[in-house]
This record gives sequence, structure tokens and C-alpha cells, in this order.
Amino acid sequence: MVEFKLPDVGEGIFEAEILEWLVKEGDTVEMDQTILEIQTDKAVVEIPSPITGTIQRIVAQPGVMANVGDVLVVILPKGESATAAPPAPSPPLVATPSTTPLPDRPSAPATPAFKQQPPSNGKSAKLMSPQVGIASAGNRILAAPAVRKLALEMNIDLAQVPGTGPAGRVLLSDLKNYTPQATPVPQPTPLASAPPPVAPPPAPVVPTAPQKPILPPPAHISTEEIVDEEPLRGLRRRIAERMEEAWRVPHVTTFREIDVNDLVKVRKSLKVEAEQRNISLTFMPFFIKAATLALRDFPYFNASLDMENQKILVRKYYHIGIATAIADGLVVPVIKHANQLSILEIAAELTRLRTLAESRRLAADEMRGSTFSITNYGSYNGYMGTPIINPPEVAIMGVGRIQDKPVVVNGQIEIRAMLPVSLSFDHRLVDGAAGEQFMERLKALLGNPNLLLMELR
Amino acid sequence: MVVGDLAVAVDVVVLGAGPGGYVAAIRAAQLGKDVVIVEPKYIGGVCLNEGCIPSKSLLTAADRVWRVQNSAEMGIIAKDISIDLPTMQSWTDGVVGKLVKGVKQLLKGNGVEIVSGAGWFMAENEVRIEGEYGAKRYAFEQCVIATGGTPAPLPNLPFDGKRVLSAREAYRLQSLPTDVTVIGSDYISAEVATFFGKLGIPVTILLPAGVKTILPNFDAGVGRHLKSQLKKLGVTIKANVDDPVQKSAKASLVVISNGIVPRTADLHLHTAKVQLNDAGFIEVDDRMRSSNPNIFAVGDVTGISNMAAQAMKQAKVAAETMAGNAAQYAPQAVPKVAWTEPEVASVGLTAKEAESAGYVVTHGQFPMGANGRALMLNGGVGFVSTVAEKDSGVLLGVTMLGAGAADLIAEAALALEMGVTLTDLAETIHVHPGMSEPVQESAEDALGSVIHILHKK
Repeated sequence: MVEFKLPDVGEGIFEAEILEWLVKEGDTVEMDQTILEIQTDKAVVEIPSPITGTIQRIVAQPGVMANVGDVLVVILPKGESATAAPPAPSPPLVATPSTTPLPDRPSAPATPAFKQQPPSNGKSAKLMSPQVGIASAGNRILAAPAVRKLALEMNIDLAQVPGTGPAGRVLLSDLKNYTPQATPVPQPTPLASAPPPVAPPPAPVVPTAPQKPILPPPAHISTEEIVDEEPLRGLRRRIAERMEEAWRVPHVTTFREIDVNDLVKVRKSLKVEAEQRNISLTFMPFFIKAATLALRDFPYFNASLDMENQKILVRKYYHIGIATAIADGLVVPVIKHANQLSILEIAAELTRLRTLAESRRLAADEMRGSTFSITNYGSYNGYMGTPIINPPEVAIMGVGRIQDKPVVVNGQIEIRAMLPVSLSFDHRLVDGAAGEQFMERLKALLGNPNLLLMELR
Repeated sequence: MVVGDLAVAVDVVVLGAGPGGYVAAIRAAQLGKDVVIVEPKYIGGVCLNEGCIPSKSLLTAADRVWRVQNSAEMGIIAKDISIDLPTMQSWTDGVVGKLVKGVKQLLKGNGVEIVSGAGWFMAENEVRIEGEYGAKRYAFEQCVIATGGTPAPLPNLPFDGKRVLSAREAYRLQSLPTDVTVIGSDYISAEVATFFGKLGIPVTILLPAGVKTILPNFDAGVGRHLKSQLKKLGVTIKANVDDPVQKSAKASLVVISNGIVPRTADLHLHTAKVQLNDAGFIEVDDRMRSSNPNIFAVGDVTGISNMAAQAMKQAKVAAETMAGNAAQYAPQAVPKVAWTEPEVASVGLTAKEAESAGYVVTHGQFPMGANGRALMLNGGVGFVSTVAEKDSGVLLGVTMLGAGAADLIAEAALALEMGVTLTDLAETIHVHPGMSEPVQESAEDALGSVIHILHKK
């Protein structure tokens, strides 16, 4: 009998909402099979089964907030008999000699492991009843009270700290020497925490200033070189890992400036119409629509490269991930089957997803499965960038801020609205020429919105 | 301005000045909070004024009576011993008075304002205090509910203040009854029986239907052993009594111990968005926080335990959490004791509990009869038994019955919290002759290396 507890996902996250169980009681599970989706305040995390066995009891029901260390599920290891030990969420020792009630009295409070989170006040009411007494076999952490207190203060899950004392007791020195790292047991997989797929644009070259007399440095400047050491944990660590992984993909990035003068006009006129339907119409739906059309014409941009099995998986559906900044970080909601939606429908879906994202109510399913991503650094006034591919996707499109620029049109200098677009793609699967063709297609579609009209459904 | 018109702003309001309340108030004040403590009746609460302290004082007095009367084999022949119960009571009042005065001084010395009256919630962050000198209002940042509980009556045998009493009332009689019937099986029942038994009053204990032994939540050997010892005091135990009301109809005094009803009815908890669990206790998490994150609850109102020692620990956790420190109520070892004849104490798991928690156990036992000090103190009545995990030898529980067990259990509690092994206990030098030796020897028995008894092969 294994009580599987909510693992420490780090970064100060000590609670998570149970989103969905992918298994039910009685199901057989393989080790590392995803059994549960939880939502921390940063990301949706898939929780794999720590062992192969049978789901004995699901303790934490969807909707509850679980704390790190709370028992989520009881799993009967393969080969172990169900009668070996009854699942005991709270050990029998509650040390209340007087709580042997007479029959007519309501029985002493059974300490339910979880209470439904009250709707009134959000995450603060995590009413996981105190656990008193010695944990069941396999779950007890041997450590002196002072060590347990320090671990609590350091926000370290003692279960993860290897103990060097007798019988594996965790010593003070073990705790002090411990650096949180990838745990051998269930490693949560981030879903919605796709790294911000944008590298900062290169710093402009500052012209050398004219030579001036060299002044001594101001006397008050401190000579101290202070370094704050922070542990690399949680979401940040996973972003780093994912970025490293992404970086293994041979990237190439190509750029265009697209004349979107007509698109600006079209959007402006449709915006009013959309507003009457209570839909905010930004440029993004046009970008998404154009991207799906280009993807249809250049299937490898909507594919994945499976090196392990030596396969190219060309996806015949178009799920567009939209990097969306929210107060707490970045989420990537996905417009599913974007090719089947009208521009207005895309706009409505975008609004819906953004609203959910801002209140962190996006369902796990709404944040995964994208086949191509778009990042809009223009919303932060970025002009040009080199986006980083979000594996296993093959390409990512970056859009910068539309600016009025002087451009040469038919030999005349005109003020035109110019959209800077970048496209990073996996050079293993896509050659440079194909990349430029894809960009030209984008340029044609965005430069001439009438072409988009033709694709109306 | 009318008194009570304006709410006074304070950091922390503590409702109730029992061991949960006053400890929370003092610790919060130590951590820099501006604290008001509200108490309708008396500083120190039930513990100091009606419960722990008076009962143990009176048990101590009764013990001396009984011990002197039963010292003939030592050559001490006591004649004409008389019991002046009013003096015994006023001596008890003296002990209580000193402690209450001490608590008051500690509260004042820590800058805690004591307000006399009953408080209830007017809003999520405000209480109104109805006191002797009118009403006051306090707007708080945080609040601790420590209003305790009252003895639960039997459904068809209400307390009447004369013949049917709670234990608290029974201890404070000014004249002795001719006979006593105790209804209940817990430590309170066993102690009340011990008290009257030692004063020479015939006692009958009626165990509720389905209960076969006194102290059923201790190791099975305890109840058996205690029954034969209590018999020497003139205490008869009747098990599995279907109709205790009818069975006690002829008793001149009936004492009922049927658990605790939390004192929450007049607090207007719904106004403060504080939720109760199904059993009517305030639902808290392991930081002692209620469903309102600014309101904490400790002690009897939580239903976790009705032990003062646990309430005090919970109070510290609540206060430290309020101050932003890391604290958690998760004791591994909660000693439980009964000041019976002889004393009973245990901590951790019994062998049976350990097995059902999935442990493979080994256990050792040492009879008090083989210990010199025990022979001197009470003729060598009792035993110590030790339960440990078989492979690792890590201690899981200790049960003891014998002179001074209530104090001796402290070593075992520390041992459990520290995660010690049987070898740790066996290797530690214990005083000889001393009552702590049997702890060491029962650990050695479990290891197969005991000296003072013949180890069973």
C-alpha cells in the first residue's frame, strides 16, 4: 500500500488544485503513467504514478486544494494483496482517551483528509486536517523535531532529503547539505508552463561617444560585489530545462517586414462590428488565420520530428498556441482546430481563453496539444525577436509591433503600417528555402487581407 | 461617545483564556503582536480551574490517603485517618489559585490585554465583547478561537448538578457520596473511579455498549491489568452495558464522561465565515487555520483532542503562523496518560496498530516486578512494552503501566520524535535503581539481550 502524496514542485508552491483524475479506483496503472492533473498557481502539472499497481483509493477529489505532503491517492503495488494493510489516512493514534464516545453521541471527528475548498475565499482555505501520530509504514520520515522544523522553514520536503543517520534518519547536516533537485520519484511535467518563446532582441549598437577627459570613478561607489544566491527551483528550473531541450533543436530564424496597411484598415472597420458583438478584435486572429493557411500549404511546419523512431509526424489538424502573459507568468492557451474557425470565432475564443488565463482557470486541455505557436512580443513594444521553438513543434512565429514607417512604394516614399514578423524553424526538417516560402505566403496573406476573405468558412 | 460604538483595532484577538488561548496570546505577544484576550469566566480555563489541575491535585491527595492506609507491610500502621474534604478542596483551590495568578502575570507581563466577557463575531474581522462593564468591539487582523468545550451529557441522563455530574463537578464535592457509578470508559472515567476508590468509596464503572475494557484505546494489556488493580480499590468494572441509565438508577452519585461538546454556539461563526465539520467542531488545517484564513482555532473546539498539552502546542503553531513563521501541527508522538492506580501512559503505536499501519514489528516487554524501584514504590505492579519496526529497530511505540508512568512516558515521547532505534534506548545508561530502567530493558528484550529477565527463546 503506497500513499502517494503531493510532491514538492518547488518555487514556493505549497498547494495545488486537483484538476482531473485520469484514472479511477480499481484501475491498473504503470509506473510513470500519468494519473492526475493538478494546477498550481503557476502551471498545470501532470502527475505520474510512482509505481506499478492498482488504484486503491482516490483521496483528493477534483476541485480541492491539496498541500504538499497531502495524500492524493493510495496505490496498491503490483503483487501486493489488498488485505495487507487497510488504507489509513490518519493513524489510529489520536491520543484522545476521551474520544470513545457512547453510542448516542455523534462520533468524534473522523479526520477527513480533504475538505472541499469553500468558494468564498480562494486558496487560503486549505483545510487539510492536521496529521497527528506516526505515519504508516513506508511514509514515516525519521527526523528529530528540530530538523522537521527547519525543513518547514526552508520549505523543503523532508521525504526528498536522503538521511545519513541510523535507519536513514535525516540529520540536521543532511538537511543543510541538501539542494533540491530532480527527484527520482514522480517528476511533474509542466504543461502550461511553456517557456516564453522569445529571446530579447539584440541590443542596438551605441555609437561611440566623443572622447572626453577621463574622470576618476565617484568615490561613493561601493567596491563590494554582492551576489545573491538563489536556488534554481520549480517553474524556473523547468523553464531552464525546457529551454535547454529546445536549444538542442537546430534553429534558424528568418525575418520579414510586411506591409499591413490594408489589414490595419480592415481590422479597424471590423473592430466596431466585433465590439457590437462584445468581441475584442485584435490583430492576433488575423495572424492565426494566416498561419493556419500557410501551415496547410507547408505541412512540415505543422509536424513533429520523431528522431527516436525515425519518423516525421505530419499533423492534419491546426492547434495554435498563443503565448499569453498573465500577472504570474506565462501561459500558452491553445486555439484548437483554428483552421475551422472564422476570424471572429478565433477572436471570441482568444478573449475567452485570455479571461480564463488571467484568472488562472484554464483547463489543462486548453493549454496543451499545440502544433504551432505564435508569440506576440509586439504587445510589449518589441520590434524583432528570435523566438525559440516549443518542442515537439517545428516552428514558431513571432510578431512585433506594427509601426508606421516610410517605405518605398512604386518609387515613392510612403508612410505605411509595417508588421515585423520572424519565423524560427527546425532546420532538421525544414530547409531555408521552405522557410522563406512560408514567410512569403504569410506576407501575401497579411499584406492582402482579401486573400484571407477567400478562405472564409 | 457610547462605549462599544467604535471598534478598537488590534492585531490579534484571542477568544478564551484556557491553555490554548493564553498560550496563543503569550506567544503572539512574544512575536510582537498587539494582543487582546477575551475570557468570560476565568483565566486558565477549564484546565486550570475545573479540569487538569484540580483533578490531579485531588487525585494526589486521595493517593496519599490510600497509600498511608496501605503501608502496613512496610511497618507503617496508620490509625484514625480522617478525610477533611473541604480542606482538601481549599488546598486544591490554593494550587489552582497560584497557577491562575501566574498565568495572569504572564499575560500582563507580555503586554496582553485581558478583557472580561464573552465574545462573538460581528464581521469577518470584528468581535463584540459582552462584559460586566458593557460591550466593546475589536477589529482584528487575526483571531484565535480557543473557547473550549463542555462535557457531553448522556442523551437520556442529563446533568443535574446533584446526582448526575460531570467529572469536573464530581471532583469538587464538599462531602463524600456513599457510592459512585461512573459511566464511561476513558481516562476521565478511570481517574474518577481511582479518586473515589482511594478515598474508600465503592465505585462501579459502567462501560458503554460494545466496550469490553476500560481504556480501550490503549494496548489491550492495559485494560486487563488496570481492572485487577482497580479492584483492589473497590472499583468494579461492568463491560458492555446496554442501558447505563437503568443500571445506574440506584447509585447515589453518577459521574458521566461522554466526551466534549465544542463551545461554538454563541460565537456567530457563520458571520466570520468559519466552517464547522460534520461533528460540529471547527475545521482547521495543519497550521490551525480555519476556513477563514485570518481566524485560527485551537484546543477542544477543533475536536483534534481534548488534551491541554495538545492545545498548547496548537496555540504556538497558530501564533507562529500568525506572525508569518513556519509552523505546523504535526506531532508524531502524543503521549496519553491516565492517573489511575497505577498510572498508565503510552505514546506512539501499539503492536496491533503498527501492524495495521503496515509495519513488520518486533516488541519487547519488561515486568515492573523485576525492577527494584518498582518493588519499593508499589510492589512491582505493571509493565513496560516496546514496539519497533523489525528490520530497522526504529521505535514505534511504548506503553507503560506503573508508578510514575505519566512522567516516565516523556522519554519515550522524545525518543519517538527523534526517531530513535531500540539500540539507542538500550545503549543509553538509565538510573539504577530507577523506574526508567524498565524502558531500557523492554527495548533490550525486543533486541533479545535483556539482562534482568530470562529472555524467551
